[in-house]
Amino acid sequence: MAYSDKVLDHYTNPRNVGALDKNSAEVGTGLVGAPECGDVMKLQIKVNPTTNIIEDAKFKTFGCGSAIASSSLATEWVKGKTVDEALGIKNTDIVKELSLPPVKIHCSVLAEDAIRAAIGDWKKKNGATQNQAQPAPVEQRA
Amino acid sequence: MKETQSKTAESQGILVVTPHKAGKTNCWSCGDMRAAQFCQQCGKVQPPAPVDYFAFFGLPYKLNVETPKLEREFYELSRHLHPDINAIKSEREQQWALEQSSHLNDAYRTLKDPIARTEYLLRLQGVQLEEQSKTATEEARRTGKIKKQVVPPGLLEEVFELNMQMEEARMNKKMGEPDRTLERQLQDARKHMEAKHDALMQELGAAWNEWDALVDRAGRGENVLEEDRLAARDKMVDILNRRNYLRNLLRDIDEVLES
Repeated sequence: MAYSDKVLDHYTNPRNVGALDKNSAEVGTGLVGAPECGDVMKLQIKVNPTTNIIEDAKFKTFGCGSAIASSSLATEWVKGKTVDEALGIKNTDIVKELSLPPVKIHCSVLAEDAIRAAIGDWKKKNGATQNQAQPAPVEQRA
Repeated sequence: MKETQSKTAESQGILVVTPHKAGKTNCWSCGDMRAAQFCQQCGKVQPPAPVDYFAFFGLPYKLNVETPKLEREFYELSRHLHPDINAIKSEREQQWALEQSSHLNDAYRTLKDPIARTEYLLRLQGVQLEEQSKTATEEARRTGKIKKQVVPPGLLEEVFELNMQMEEARMNKKMGEPDRTLERQLQDARKHMEAKHDALMQELGAAWNEWDALVDRAGRGENVLEEDRLAARDKMVDILNRRNYLRNLLRDIDEVLES
């Protein structure tokens, strides 16, 4: 099967490969897998505690070219976004950007899972402070 | 009460297959005998019926299969259905023989293999093995909750760490400096994974028995609860998911150690 140019680009020149300190309170780690093919993907984000902006992201994926490209693209996309904005990234966006064929859609699913899992981990770590930081719900005009 | 009855009937329908249900028609040629793939009376090949692999062999939807018996039936049917044997028949019969024997080959190949058989039954039971991850992701997106991973996190950690080690071992080999300590570690890990794989196969055997017991109960006309069917089914899905990781790891470790 032929890979698209964008997949090849990310595959041969993956962005943001590596690891962040998983014990840091500012770092969220997501480790996810696709049982269909046995791929594993680790994606980490470093979040600015005052702005909630993702300042850095790293990944390490063991899987096919499409899985590597999907996670590479995911790290590029989450950087500079707030945590909530990053949650808006859908696997279909990745499919479109990389022109993934139907049999490789699960790779994009894995990347979305990884983003969600990393954010989930970060939220869990910062659960207490998060709740305080959020403004109280406005209840007017009953 | 009425609702429970219909629900039971529904699940029984999925569990029970009447042997030779597929062949409960008359032979097109001699018009007489009950014919399955070929007529037992005149030996003519019959038009293919759209049946699943279990029904093709007249088997119940059970996972414990006597493979020697299956093999005998496969050869017996092949003798009647093989296109070479039907080469002098009418064009129509030749076409049927071709379709029947290709269905026979697919059915046999799938049912004789324990994993392929289990996967096939799960598909018949409505499980979309390839879509699990996507479905769970869509559910997580919809509810805003963290997606439930389909394999235990502990196993994922193990898989990830082993992959890191394998990458290092590959790199060292490439540089012409194989790391013997690392390779020994991988050998140990391989043994550990193989033991896990064996344990998982035991677990699968137990899950088969559980499933087959439900089929037997349904076959005797007893009430089988839908939740019992789903529980037994999903247990097998979970086992196969974990197996995929172990299978890949074993394959990859072998590749690293042998290369």
